[in-house]
Amino acid sequence: MAAVTLTNVVKRFGVFEVVHGANIDIADGEFVVFVGPSGCGKSTLLRMIAGLEDISGGDIAIGGKVMNDVEAADRGIAMVFQSYALYPHMTVEQNLSFGLRMNGNPKADTERRVKRAAEILRIDELMQRRPKQLSGGQRQRVAIGRAIVREPQVFLFDEPLSNLDAELRVQMRVEISRLHKELGVTMIYVTHDQTEAMTLADRIVVLKAGNVEQIGAPLDLYDDPANRFVAGFIGSPKMNFLKANVVETSNSAAIIELVNHGGARLRKPLSNAFPAVGAEVVLGVRPEHFFEAGEGDCDIPVKADVAEHLGSVSYVYANAGPEELIVEREASRQRASGDHFTVSIKAERSLLFDKAGARIR
Amino acid sequence: MRTQNATAYRFLTPYLLIFAIFWIWPIISSFLISFQATRTVPWRFAPTFNWGRLIGDPAFYNALKNTLLILVIQVPVMISLAIVMAVLLNSPLLKARGLYRFAFFAPVVVGEVAYSAVFRLMFSLDFGIINKLLNSVGLTKIDWFSNVTPAMALIMIAVTWRWAGYNAIIILAGLQSIPEDVYEAATLDRVSRVKQFFYITLPLLKPVIVFCAVLSIIGTMQLFTEPFLITERGGPGGGTETLGLLLYRQGFRSLNFGYASAVAYTMAGLAIAITLVQLWLTREPK
Ligand SMILES: Nc1ncnc2c1ncn2[C@@H]1O[C@H](COP(=O)(O)OP(=O)(O)OP(=O)(O)O)[C@@H](O)[C@H]1O
Ligand SMILES: [Mg+2]
Repeated sequence: MAAVTLTNVVKRFGVFEVVHGANIDIADGEFVVFVGPSGCGKSTLLRMIAGLEDISGGDIAIGGKVMNDVEAADRGIAMVFQSYALYPHMTVEQNLSFGLRMNGNPKADTERRVKRAAEILRIDELMQRRPKQLSGGQRQRVAIGRAIVREPQVFLFDEPLSNLDAELRVQMRVEISRLHKELGVTMIYVTHDQTEAMTLADRIVVLKAGNVEQIGAPLDLYDDPANRFVAGFIGSPKMNFLKANVVETSNSAAIIELVNHGGARLRKPLSNAFPAVGAEVVLGVRPEHFFEAGEGDCDIPVKADVAEHLGSVSYVYANAGPEELIVEREASRQRASGDHFTVSIKAERSLLFDKAGARIR
Repeated sequence: MRTQNATAYRFLTPYLLIFAIFWIWPIISSFLISFQATRTVPWRFAPTFNWGRLIGDPAFYNALKNTLLILVIQVPVMISLAIVMAVLLNSPLLKARGLYRFAFFAPVVVGEVAYSAVFRLMFSLDFGIINKLLNSVGLTKIDWFSNVTPAMALIMIAVTWRWAGYNAIIILAGLQSIPEDVYEAATLDRVSRVKQFFYITLPLLKPVIVFCAVLSIIGTMQLFTEPFLITERGGPGGGTETLGLLLYRQGFRSLNFGYASAVAYTMAGLAIAITLVQLWLTREPK
């Protein structure tokens, strides 16, 4: 078991820099998820930790030991690949034991480890099959089993569930969570699916274009994002962003006017920064934070465009001028498309961002 | 549907006719001819005339021995060489990959006569570059064309030179179909490069290698150009005569079509038999 520390880690491919000095501290036994849009450098970071990519700058330490020049096999990590990367010509059992056999591990110990992994993942029945004869979920289990057999200090997962269908994904998600509790080792998990990140992580690292945007517990990121990118990326459906202008400031609040909603005004208490009068800002409101007319601090009339009824809640895609808003409603307060209705925003249930996307608190 | 098919067949008729006349009929006809005595006109049906002769013919056994000898030495050497070439071609360290690929493939498109002439020159006793090289490192000259063993070696070298690159390109395609992350997984499993080659690359290449081996076996069973042009019609003294040459000698020089047909069928039968044995030996475990 081991902590993982990334200090100013940089990665360049030729002249092209794709990771710009990442600082990430991962505690022993923690489950950390790297999340971000495609191409932001999640896999690259993970592969640098694994030792499959050179580190162009900075240090990566595992268990307190700098690993920059240590062979991948000697870092005490195991990795589960998105494509599973099983050895196609070997049976499940051979897949699990291959690494140990090649390194002259005592036979009895190899058998014990393989048996244990098979039990943990419930693949005992499949031991004599080849990868071709397995379903996607079963292959994924074998790939995880191969990692378990190595008894690593750190597990690395690169989008392990992205090739599975939705139902299986949920099921495997739970299993990986269970596995983390059972083994208690450090796990680093890469995904671009924020739901996976929210449900699995002790802490989430949000990446964008090679930069760490924010690190925090799932609900902290959800409730208190550092910037507009994190606010938009975490949460599903996405946070609504309403364009606004600052019309007045005092020493404890700013009054903003929602430009696309007939000049509706909201008084937003602030404690740190005070934008200039006339500054363009953006108000972020989560779909579930639209209240019934009169319940909040600022009412805006909208027209329901499309309504998605999911059973317990409905999502109403509502039109108000050029902005489309996603409004969550309880099933009992459903709206049909075409309905005109009014939603209300509460100041303490909304977030303010400046034009560049930084949070104004 | 039926009328559609009929129309399709009408369009296919010219091809099917040509196929029947120039492919199917010769195959049947030569099979029938192998059961006829063709030394005298008119030909007559005599099932044991050619096949009986074949069984007792020292020239046939000589040609068979030479062909099989080339087969068991040249094919494995060439395939091994082709695998090594393919692995080198696939190396990320290699610069100018396209150039090498072309160079390896080029021998296939060089005309047979030109290549044979060049080999004769290179291996000639007094002027050949090979003997000059041997001399310069202190070895004695070899008379490649007058002794059976060097002549056989020469044939094998020539065939290998001509086809190794071709097989390497096919194996390269197989190599490139092995996903990179399988090797990465093996690296994390602390499996060395060499072990990765023997435990991952080779097993995954097996189908491609078997395919190359089958093609090579069929080709070698029919070997003709090299012993005909390079060692001058299977010389010295029939020492490099192959089944292909024997067939040619009987069919086109002695005009003994019946016997030539019997030899041809023997060649085809052997090629099929050896291929089947090979496929059986290398079959996928169930
Ligand atoms: N071998 C390489 N050579 C050059 N550029 C690369 C290489 N590998 C990745 N990149 C670049 O690095 C950036 C980050 O890639 P990376 O694979 O880490 O993204 P990712 O966050 O994992 O995305 P995805 O969610 O699509 O897997 C991308 O812009 C990509 O084009
Ligand atoms: Mg990736």
